[in-house]
Amino acid sequence: MNSKRVFFITVLLTAALFCLSIFGLKIGNFWIKGADQMRYGIDIRGGVEATYEPKDLGRAPTENELEAIRTIIETRMDAKNITDRDVTVDKGNGKVIVRFPWKSDETNFDPQKAVSELGETAKLTFRDPDGNVIMEGTDVTKSSAQLSQSDSQPAVALTLSARGADKFAQATGRLIGQNIDIYMDEALISTAIVQTQITGGNAEITHLESLQAATLLANRINSGSLPYSLIVKNCNIISPTLGSNALAVMVMAGKVAFALVCLFMLIYYRLPGLVACIALTLQVTGQLLALSVPQFTLTLPGIAGLILSIGMGVDANIIISERIKEELNGGKTVLRAIETGFKRAFSAVFDGNVTVVIVAIILIIFGSGSMLSFGYTLLCGVIMNFVAGVTASRLMIRSLSNFKALRQPQYFGAKGVVQ
Amino acid sequence: MIRFYKHRYIYFAISLCLILLGVGAAFINGIQLDIQFKGGTILKYTYSSDINAEQAEKIVEQAVGRTVNCQLQSNMAQDHKILMVSLASNEALSSREQEAVTSALTRAYPDASLALSESLTVEPFIGKHFFTNGMIAIALSFLLILVYVGWRFKNIGGLSAGSMAIIALFHDVFIVTAVFIIFKIPLNDSFIAAILTIIGFSINDTIVIYDRIRENERLLGRKTPAEELVDISINQSMSRSINTNIAVFMSIAVIYVFAQVYDIGSIRAFALPMMFGTISGCYSTICIAGPLWTMWQHHKKTKIRVKSAEA
Repeated sequence: MNSKRVFFITVLLTAALFCLSIFGLKIGNFWIKGADQMRYGIDIRGGVEATYEPKDLGRAPTENELEAIRTIIETRMDAKNITDRDVTVDKGNGKVIVRFPWKSDETNFDPQKAVSELGETAKLTFRDPDGNVIMEGTDVTKSSAQLSQSDSQPAVALTLSARGADKFAQATGRLIGQNIDIYMDEALISTAIVQTQITGGNAEITHLESLQAATLLANRINSGSLPYSLIVKNCNIISPTLGSNALAVMVMAGKVAFALVCLFMLIYYRLPGLVACIALTLQVTGQLLALSVPQFTLTLPGIAGLILSIGMGVDANIIISERIKEELNGGKTVLRAIETGFKRAFSAVFDGNVTVVIVAIILIIFGSGSMLSFGYTLLCGVIMNFVAGVTASRLMIRSLSNFKALRQPQYFGAKGVVQ
Repeated sequence: MIRFYKHRYIYFAISLCLILLGVGAAFINGIQLDIQFKGGTILKYTYSSDINAEQAEKIVEQAVGRTVNCQLQSNMAQDHKILMVSLASNEALSSREQEAVTSALTRAYPDASLALSESLTVEPFIGKHFFTNGMIAIALSFLLILVYVGWRFKNIGGLSAGSMAIIALFHDVFIVTAVFIIFKIPLNDSFIAAILTIIGFSINDTIVIYDRIRENERLLGRKTPAEELVDISINQSMSRSINTNIAVFMSIAVIYVFAQVYDIGSIRAFALPMMFGTISGCYSTICIAGPLWTMWQHHKKTKIRVKSAEA
């Protein structure tokens, strides 16, 4: 193979990947999202992040209770039309974390109100067709999804308290052939037709489309019988205008930093400097892809980490270029100097990068929220640095040195004239 | 060739002065923890006309019955002004109380087009948890680095190399912390991130020099005096150290300038200490870690000599 080509292949590949990371690619189900569709943290796109915990519970909530809390919150978000959201249950600490964006066109949206409303005690009611309340969520002791004993179709089984059983027997006696609606707050979540009078405190809601739907309904009914409301432990609200402005600024900062570092490398190191610029592009591309492919949340500190790794990324190239220059000044030929330079530089680059990896991993494990993103971009930066700053650079420099015209020590910043 | 070893006490003195400066500042300014670590509430509102901070404070205090602090900030890049309501207490404001604050303020200043732009509430317990986690992270990274350096640099006295690197790191941690204190930037999770990044960056620097020492020891022979070995190695990797630092410093300075001009507080609070940190990292590597390692080597040799003389 003509190794002169390797350089151009690497450049083309870098350019192609770079375009991919910026514009994205969609072939059927396979979709790599472009830079503008990255998943941004609420500090960038504006939004709300709130942590809820049961109020005055006095013990750690059980897993079922946490699931019930999640269901209440999700149902309420549905009612508010907040669909782009992320509700996480933190079992270890007994918390439910809610994140959702606050879009810039929502001028009437009151995030503070939304946060407190999401945390209020869920009020579950069973109502007759006229809207009169028959029974409340607290009258239900337990609800669970199951396959109906009569026809093996998905259903929700309800166990009622003694008082609930009375109320329910009375109502179902009156409403045979009519509807009973189940509301959470003011949102209708289910409707059932009364077939017979139900006494004894065990009821079944049948004719549900799937077991999944039955589970959802059962959870919702359970959450309506939670005797406590939720308290907001941590809350962070950022307006969308503030967020998007910060993003534009940081992107611009990134471009300027990139340009400055490239300029510096070109002027100081010439040919290896050019290679470093290409390698740096590859590194940043890799970092962008590492964010957009798994849709990792990118926060402002994450962008800072990306820009910082632009600076740190050229370190490998600098060490290598310095070594090549040294070897050239020591009287070696260009080809020999490149080989020795790379070999000698490797252990320093390797050990240095491993320590940064250690630090980045610690940041990922221990960093709270937004710092996770910083650690992640830093980690990807270091890993990509091995690929780009060491491997790709080596391929490119070796390939370029096959051009006789480029085999001049001064192109490598050396004083010598040895051919 | 610069004789780093010979001038070591000058460098130590400079570092000591800087650290003392930080300690002094800590006594004068105090160390502020951000509400992220100590718990509390911050509400930020944008507004257009005029608001009196003291008056606003009274309005808010009436609305929620707690002591609050109101500050006004203006933003260079945008035409609106910012009213910051902060409450650091053992109990963060509930979301209902926050709503009460907002409605009280909008009622009091109907023409100011007051709008909530940012709010942060952290429970003290969680804040403490974040803070402890951060400290554990820093301690753990020190430990792991010590182990890794000790293992990789067995040839040149791994433990001593590792310990001296850690001392240089402590130096950088002190400097970065001092910047936070001097500029009155409250410590929050960007503090932890800045510290950890500087640790990674500075150790990277130190390792490049240790790597050179390791290599030179092989090339020049074990008989070469430690100070000569160190001086040669530092001088050889000098232009690399400086150039890498220029690249990193440039990147972080660009972040800082943009964050300053467009008033992005969180980024600025992180970038400013990082700028000092990169300089400190470069300095501590060259002027502290290398000479200290040499002193340890001398100390070890004297001990051996004393021992053999005794025997």
